[in-house]
Formats: sequence, structure tokens, C-alpha cells
Amino acid sequence: MSHEKEEIFPRDPNKTYSLMTIVDGDSFQVEHGPDDTLLSWPHLMVRELLLFLLVFVVILGVSLLFNAPLEEAANPLHSTNPAKAPWYFVGIQELVSYSAFLGGIVAPVLIVLSLLLLPYLDRNPKGVGVWFSADRKLATFLFSIFVIAMIILILIGQFVRGPNWALYWPWM
Amino acid sequence: MSESAYSLQESIKQLPGNIKESVFRREGGTPEQEQAAAIFGNVFLHLHPARVHINSLRLSYTYGLGLISFFLFLLLTASGVLLMFYYTPATQLAYRNMKDLEYVVSFGIVLRNVHRWSAHAMVAFVFLHMCRVFYTGSYKAPREFNWIIGVCLLLLTLFLSFTGYLLPWDQLAFWAITVGSNIAAYTPWIGDSVRFLMLGGNEVGQMALLRFYVLHVALLPLVAVVLLAVHFWRIRKDGGLSRPQNS
Ligand code: HEM
Repeated sequence: MSHEKEEIFPRDPNKTYSLMTIVDGDSFQVEHGPDDTLLSWPHLMVRELLLFLLVFVVILGVSLLFNAPLEEAANPLHSTNPAKAPWYFVGIQELVSYSAFLGGIVAPVLIVLSLLLLPYLDRNPKGVGVWFSADRKLATFLFSIFVIAMIILILIGQFVRGPNWALYWPWM
Repeated sequence: MSESAYSLQESIKQLPGNIKESVFRREGGTPEQEQAAAIFGNVFLHLHPARVHINSLRLSYTYGLGLISFFLFLLLTASGVLLMFYYTPATQLAYRNMKDLEYVVSFGIVLRNVHRWSAHAMVAFVFLHMCRVFYTGSYKAPREFNWIIGVCLLLLTLFLSFTGYLLPWDQLAFWAITVGSNIAAYTPWIGDSVRFLMLGGNEVGQMALLRFYVLHVALLPLVAVVLLAVHFWRIRKDGGLSRPQNS
């Protein structure tokens, strides 16, 4: 005689879901399941809808108050000075002003490659699901340097670079 | 309706119910069954699971940053399609179209503003979303590949924004794209060819405008939609949003 409890619904370790039990009742989860879940409708959908409305209203409000920039018609013979890339590339442009090849090609390629490879470079399985986990101080530190450097470069390129890309203090 | 008991009167009585069933593909159930079916019986919502973990609903966990990015993408699609009715990708017309939007088309300026500000906001929010995913360690197994899809989405967002930047054909647009394409030309050996491929010439001109336009309104948005579908589908397949182990 076997002492093992007969498993009617064996769990497949490869799946994140499994059939736990069959109960009589009129809903999918008659009692609280083993996990803390809520029905997506209405709990998730209502929140999503509210967030959408918020985004819509804010964008509409901003659009009623501020007009998108529109300068003179393009003139290939008259370059603006300085000519600036869009703000999200202005940090790269700032790097280019130090070294065209290192700043304009090597740095962006390295950034993209390290972002793509990141999950395979950081093999530490700990610290998932919490902000700034104490288990991954180094990762947090390194990524923050990257973020702060990007922000500083963009701020410099956008606000303190004048004609001929020379330093220029906007309040002077 | 059963065939044996066919009667005209009955069939008319059942018509409203039949129509409802044909649209929603289901007969009524208990309230909870109906609520679950509202998600998985709907092609637009079925990327959601019928139930979500409470951690996924905590605003202080995701700050809704991914969702905000997606909503901005929706706003951009809607306003972008409307802008297409008023825009011609020709160097002699593009700038005049912008002026017409400002002074002739009813609410044209608001339309253009919505598109422009949403585009800036989307770049920022996608970046913030990436930071959230990093700082919560959400790219770790089994979500590695979704992070990679995400990086592709970030690049797409940047390219979409960059290609759109040229379209107004004003000084800002022209010289920003000139600067941008010059950076690409620093690629060793093939730099000039890269720029030529980008601009359809050696300088920003009609060919560049057409190329950027086609990329901006057709190719890049299509790729983005496909990648977004994969991104959302993977969230589900990877077991919903990441959460602390003990919960
Ligand atoms: C067009 C851009 C993007 C859109 C619309 C988008 C949308 C979303 C949404 C709606 C979620 C659900 C959770 C949330 O709202 O935060 C999510 C999760 C996720 N996203 Fe994105 N995303 C984008 C770009 C990115 C980028 C740039 C990355 C990373 C490089 C990324 C990586 C991830 C990962 C790994 C998850 C799962 C997070 C978890 O399980 O906690 N996504 N994304």
C-alpha cells in the first residue's frame, strides 16, 4: 500500500499556473485562493481608465496653455547658431563636442549594448520586486551614475551652450 | 434558439438576446463569471489576466509609468492620424501646412500641441519607466527578454520622435536633423554611407523629408505596435508584474 497522497492534479513546475482543486460553486474562486488577487474587471480596468483620463487632461491642459515651437521656414543657407539636436540627443551632442568618434559613436553604442545585455550581465537573482533593494546596492549605484550623467549632459547641452557651442550662462 | 420549436413570434422575442450573444460571444453567468469574461472575452482586454495580484495595483510600485507611456502612444496615434489629413511631406508645403494648422484649421494648433507635447512626454516617461524597472530589479529571470523588448521600444520611441522632429520643416527641424545625421556620419569607414541612407542624399532635403515621413507615419509605428503587443503578452507569460518573493 502506498503512503503517498494521490495527486489528482499534479503540478507542472514549468508553469506559473495549475489546477488546484475543483469545487462546487458559482465563481472561479469560491473562497480566497492561496494568492492575493483581485478581478481585473473592475479593479484594474477602472484604475487604468482613470490614469488615461488624467494623462489626457494634463496633455490637453498643457496644449491649451503652451504652443509647440515653430521657427522660420527651413533655410539650408542660413544655419542657426548654435544648431541643437532634440533635447534627448543633446547629451550625445555635448559628448560629440569633446570627441566626435568617442562621443558620437562609441558612447551611444556602448550604452545600447550594455542596456541590451544587462539582464545577462547582472546574474544576482536577489532583490526583485522592491525599490532600491539592499541586496543590489552596486547595481543601483552604477545605474544611478548613468542616469545622473545623462541628465547632467542634457542640462549642459540644452541650457548652457550658446553660439559655436561655447559655454554661455543664460542669466548673464 | 432550437430548430424544432421554431416560431416567428418566439424568434423575434429572442432577437435582442441573440444579438447581444453574437457580439459578446457568451451567455450570461454569475456576476463574477461575467466580470472575468469581461476581460478574457474581449480582444482588446484579453492581454490582461482575469485576475491580478494586489502588488500590481500598488501605484507606489510602478507609478503607472509604463501605462502612461502607452497612453501617450495612443494619444500620439490619434492626434497623428488627424494631423496627417493636413500635412504634405513636400519641402514647399510642409511649413505652410504648419502655419495653416495654426491659423486656418479649427483647433489645429491644439492638435499640433497635443502631438508635440505627448511626444516629448513619451520619451521622458519611457525613460522613467526603464528606471523603475531597473530599480525594482524587474529585469531578472524570467523577465530578461522583456527588458530587451523594452530597450527596443526605447530606441523606437527615440527614432519616432527624431523622425517627427523634421516634419514641420522649420529652422529648428532642419538644423536639428542636420546635426543628428552628422553625428551618424562619424561612424568609422561607412559613416557617409550611413548618412546617405538616412537622408536619401548628402544633405537634408526633399528625399530626407519623404524618408523621415514614411518612417514616422508607417514603418516605425507598425513595428512599435507589434513590439508593444509582445511586451504586454510577455508580462502575462512571465507571471504578471514582478513582486517581492514572500508575497
Ligand atoms: C514604448 C515604450 C514602453 C511601453 C508603452 C511600456 C509599457 C509597459 C507596461 C504598461 C508595463 C506594465 C507595468 C507598468 O505599467 O509599469 C511594462 C512592464 C515592463 N516593461 Fe515596459 N514599456 C515600454 C518600454 C520599456 C523599456 C524601455 C523597458 C526596459 C528597458 C521596459 C521593460 C519592462 C519590463 C521588464 C516590464 C515588466 C516589469 C515588471 O514585471 O515589474 N519597457 N511596460
